[in-house]
Amino acid sequence: MVALSESGGNAAPASSTVGGPSKPRAEALSAEKPPRRNDPVPDPLPYLLDFYPQEDPKYTRIAPFFDALRKGSFTTTRCEEDGTLSWPPRVTCPVCRGDRLAWTELPRRGRLYAFSAVLGGAPLGMEQDVPFVVGLIDLEGVPLRIFSRIAHTRYEDCHIGSEVELETFPLPDGRVFFRFRPAGASSPKA
Amino acid sequence: MSALRRVALVAGGLSTFGVRAATWSELVQEAGAAAFRDIRNFSSKDVDSLFVGAAQPERLAFQSHVAPLAAELLGFEPWKILQRTELACASGQSAIRSAYAAIASGLSDVAAVVGVEKMNLPSMAEANTSMANVLDRTWDGVHGATAPPFFAMCAQRHMLEYGTTSEQMAAVSEKNHRFANTNPTAQFYSKQFTREKLLKLPMVAPPLRLGDCSSMTDGAAGVLLVAEELARKYTDTPVWVRGSGQHSHFHNLSGAGSLSTWPGLRAAAQEAFRSARAGPKDIDIAEVHDCFTISEIIEYEDIGFCAKGEGGRFALDGSSDLGGKVVVNPRGGLLGCGHPLGATGVAQAVEVLQQLQARAPAARQVQGAETALVHNLSGSANVHSLMIYGREN
Repeated sequence: MVALSESGGNAAPASSTVGGPSKPRAEALSAEKPPRRNDPVPDPLPYLLDFYPQEDPKYTRIAPFFDALRKGSFTTTRCEEDGTLSWPPRVTCPVCRGDRLAWTELPRRGRLYAFSAVLGGAPLGMEQDVPFVVGLIDLEGVPLRIFSRIAHTRYEDCHIGSEVELETFPLPDGRVFFRFRPAGASSPKA
Repeated sequence: MSALRRVALVAGGLSTFGVRAATWSELVQEAGAAAFRDIRNFSSKDVDSLFVGAAQPERLAFQSHVAPLAAELLGFEPWKILQRTELACASGQSAIRSAYAAIASGLSDVAAVVGVEKMNLPSMAEANTSMANVLDRTWDGVHGATAPPFFAMCAQRHMLEYGTTSEQMAAVSEKNHRFANTNPTAQFYSKQFTREKLLKLPMVAPPLRLGDCSSMTDGAAGVLLVAEELARKYTDTPVWVRGSGQHSHFHNLSGAGSLSTWPGLRAAAQEAFRSARAGPKDIDIAEVHDCFTISEIIEYEDIGFCAKGEGGRFALDGSSDLGGKVVVNPRGGLLGCGHPLGATGVAQAVEVLQQLQARAPAARQVQGAETALVHNLSGSANVHSLMIYGREN
């Protein structure tokens, strides 16, 4: 699903009935792409266009994840009943459905299992990041493969098995989120 | 199972797919005119149930409560079941499956289905936002990925593990675009693509190029399903639902597994074949979900048309083309027709109806076709939905 298509521009009928008549309705087809608007992106984004989660304990029961992230720790939940390690963090265990979950530290390093790059068609508010790399990362020493942005690198410089490390970054309104970067890369100051 | 009633597909039609100068509501009306206008002995009053497949009307058309809107637009006043189904890219098949279940169970006798999506908006960034929220928005979509990079990673792993090539992926795209040239409703009806041309198109999400990806498309399609005893009231050549299967395997991408094999597809196909008392070798036509070329290649393998890892060669040697082992995506697929999320699964059923009634355009009619399979994946190939149809019950 890519937003780079062109209209057919043909004179096909606007609809087609199985075994029935179809009449030409060329006027229903636009030969040109419809006009696109380039509205300024509101900052902050309206709530329902903003992918970054609500982190405040007034809104979520996993606020400790974001508190830990703010201190540089990458965490998730583990069930104290049956030991199930979950990603993303949860409030009940998907196996036993109990709610006795404990926060546990995750490794900050891992290796790329697969990756690609977004060269266009980014969501609202992320268009200025294009091009950027995303990938699935096998975390070191735990059975978790998680998806993330891979910052400060180019697609051409990534390889399956490349070592990456966690990086946290602040959002303008004080929230915090994470992404990964090539291991050993320094984080350019914005 | 033996208590279920048999269900027939008796009519169908669709709007032209493409970048359309038409609204969501206008597309529904076009599909209604195409699907429900010329059915023998048919009255709008016969329709006791309506199922509307629509993935994101709230985000893409700023309209909720769409089932009664569609009923009004189509001239139906359902009194048994009125419902909208959402299953992202499989929303259309989801509507058909619901109609099938309603009729098979005895709740409904005559069920109309319409699938629709309006995806080309003045602001494509907003549309892209509504593609990224198909993923787990908090943990996966937040990183800025829509479908192309996910399927690009599937391609990267499949190429690494099985030696699949860009040329093999281009063979899928060339075939489906060539079929689309026989289909006036297809988005790419009047565009020709050779493999050489496809391999020179720009990258969208490497290793996937523009020609490896289906499009953001506006379109709508409708079908009519009825109980066995009513089938021959409406047509002399009903097409029968033989079986179906569905499997939900994960949602957050941490559950995606190898990427090169889709266990959910294997499970859903197994159930579809079991319920239809059929196997991959019985399928003459397969309308499969080629949202990306690599998807069709993995689908050949995990549905069972070829051995694991052989999907690329299966495309390149013509096994999925006219005259091959199974004709895959003769209407042009998602690659050639475009992919209006809610309409796709219904449009595939319209093709199967035409093909099994031997009424498809000669250039793509599969001679003597008896049995057809329809497959949709949704999201990050985390859900797979299949239906098997037959000329004979």
